[in-house]
Amino acid sequence: MTERRLTAEIHRRLPSFTLDLSLEVGQEVLVLFGPSGAGKSMTLESIAGLVTPDRGEILMDGRLLFRRRPGLTHVDMPVRKRGVGYVFQNYALFPHLTVLGNVRYPLGREARAQERALSLISQMGLGPLADRFPHQLSGGQQQRVAIARALARDPEVLLLDEPFSALDPGLRERLRGDLRALQLERGLVVICVTHSIEDAIALGDRVAVLRDGGLEQVGAVGEVFRRPSGASAAEVLGIRNILYAHVSSATADRITLDWDGVALQAPAQPFSLKESVPVYVAPEDVKLLYPDRPVLGGLAANQLAATVTRVESLHGMRIIKVRLDNGHELEARGADYYYQELDLRPGAPVRITLRQEGVRILHEKGS
Amino acid sequence: MGWQAFRISVEVTAVATVLVVVVGTAAGLLLARVRFFGVQLVEALLMLPLVLPPSVVGYYLLRFLGAGGPVEALLKVNVVFTWAAAVFASAVVALPLMVQAAKTAIRGVDPVLENAARTLGSSEAAVFFRVTLPLARRGLIAGTVLSAARALGEFGATLMVAGNRPGHTQTLPLFVYDAVQNQQYGLVNLVVGLLTGFGLICFIVIGRLEPGRTK
Repeated sequence: MTERRLTAEIHRRLPSFTLDLSLEVGQEVLVLFGPSGAGKSMTLESIAGLVTPDRGEILMDGRLLFRRRPGLTHVDMPVRKRGVGYVFQNYALFPHLTVLGNVRYPLGREARAQERALSLISQMGLGPLADRFPHQLSGGQQQRVAIARALARDPEVLLLDEPFSALDPGLRERLRGDLRALQLERGLVVICVTHSIEDAIALGDRVAVLRDGGLEQVGAVGEVFRRPSGASAAEVLGIRNILYAHVSSATADRITLDWDGVALQAPAQPFSLKESVPVYVAPEDVKLLYPDRPVLGGLAANQLAATVTRVESLHGMRIIKVRLDNGHELEARGADYYYQELDLRPGAPVRITLRQEGVRILHEKGS
Repeated sequence: MGWQAFRISVEVTAVATVLVVVVGTAAGLLLARVRFFGVQLVEALLMLPLVLPPSVVGYYLLRFLGAGGPVEALLKVNVVFTWAAAVFASAVVALPLMVQAAKTAIRGVDPVLENAARTLGSSEAAVFFRVTLPLARRGLIAGTVLSAARALGEFGATLMVAGNRPGHTQTLPLFVYDAVQNQQYGLVNLVVGLLTGFGLICFIVIGRLEPGRTK
């Protein structure tokens, strides 16, 4: 099979913001990652033809989907002819049609439309729900319907806009797995927009970090998360608190991690025995301790000495960066009032703790 | 002779309603979805018959349909004082209600659903008939009922442009006028009761179509 390839060069200027980027995607999952307002959705919409760039060129396997360049004839293929599957953020299922009606919709009067729709529905594990209406489905089921519908016309490209944002964590994990399987099975070119680090790591072959309408960095997921190029990419990625550690011991109810000489206690969870696994601690789960106050249960396990490096206040939150004895930095966030009486000048020694339940091992694609 | 007026009213209302639904839905779609220069002026023009005196609307229609008007120039027929003029009069006064209803109903359809349909291979016509129309259905039906009620009740402009010819252009409202003049109160009461009942039923139907009500 020849490798499918989508290339997109998009330039679009709006009064408050300019999108300007170029991407090349093969048969893989490219994660478009960045904060809201970075231009992620607009990139997908440009590829699908739902918005028109001012300048640029979009090619799928040599098929020109869009071109607007000085001196060359304009090409702007209508959305319906681009052969691009699109899963919208809130799924955009047709509320007046059943599951079967939705999945059948793109097949129109095609021969055997009914059979094909039904077989897709059962492939997605939705068989018993074929006659339900969207409002009678759970979020996860709606998402499956949206994917089945987007795949009904056998697109080569699948675009997903925040496909997991409305789902709870257990379900996300399962659906991420399903999506990876689909990509492989069908050899799809997949671009997935997300602002969740966990989705990015779990789903992406490569990640493109987007900020203010431009690309900060593109590369393999492991590369980008381990070595973000520049502080800006790191900031976008929110990787301040991703640390790479290895599992030194595990019992039925807890895991001990070795993070470059610092031992961390984590709750029992699936892990791999690789040399280093990515671990995420949300800044909210890093607490600074008052020396004269008792430390409660869940916070007792991971007490560490550190030095304050930077303090910011933002919307009633205090964001505190600390450096640990092993040289790594962590970020802590807490309510302003909570940290008011603590000496937080840069250079001040503090004791911090990582809430044990908050130490989460991330699962990289394929692991 | 009351039966003739009844038959004429039903026919005029039916034809006018069909016209109003087609034109009003198209105009509503335009106003709801297309951004263009002068959109407010177009909307204001479409709404005018709602506020103009019936005599003014009637006068415009006379100029439009009558001798020397564009319709005569184009079709070589003068429809003034015919059944067709009664249809026009009813349609013009009912149109603003349909335009507003259609605009509101179509605005209520999430444009993301229309975009989803486009990514699924639908042409613009298919997007309208398979997504927008079914989803705007309740509002459009309510608009249709309201327009039909208004078309049936049309009096002033009809009188001016179609006249009051029993058996030709005399609709029920005109019949009531004549019957009162002739002091045929038994007939008047019957027709008035009929028209009032129809109006009430229309509003009950419209109320039941309001969003948020389950069928």
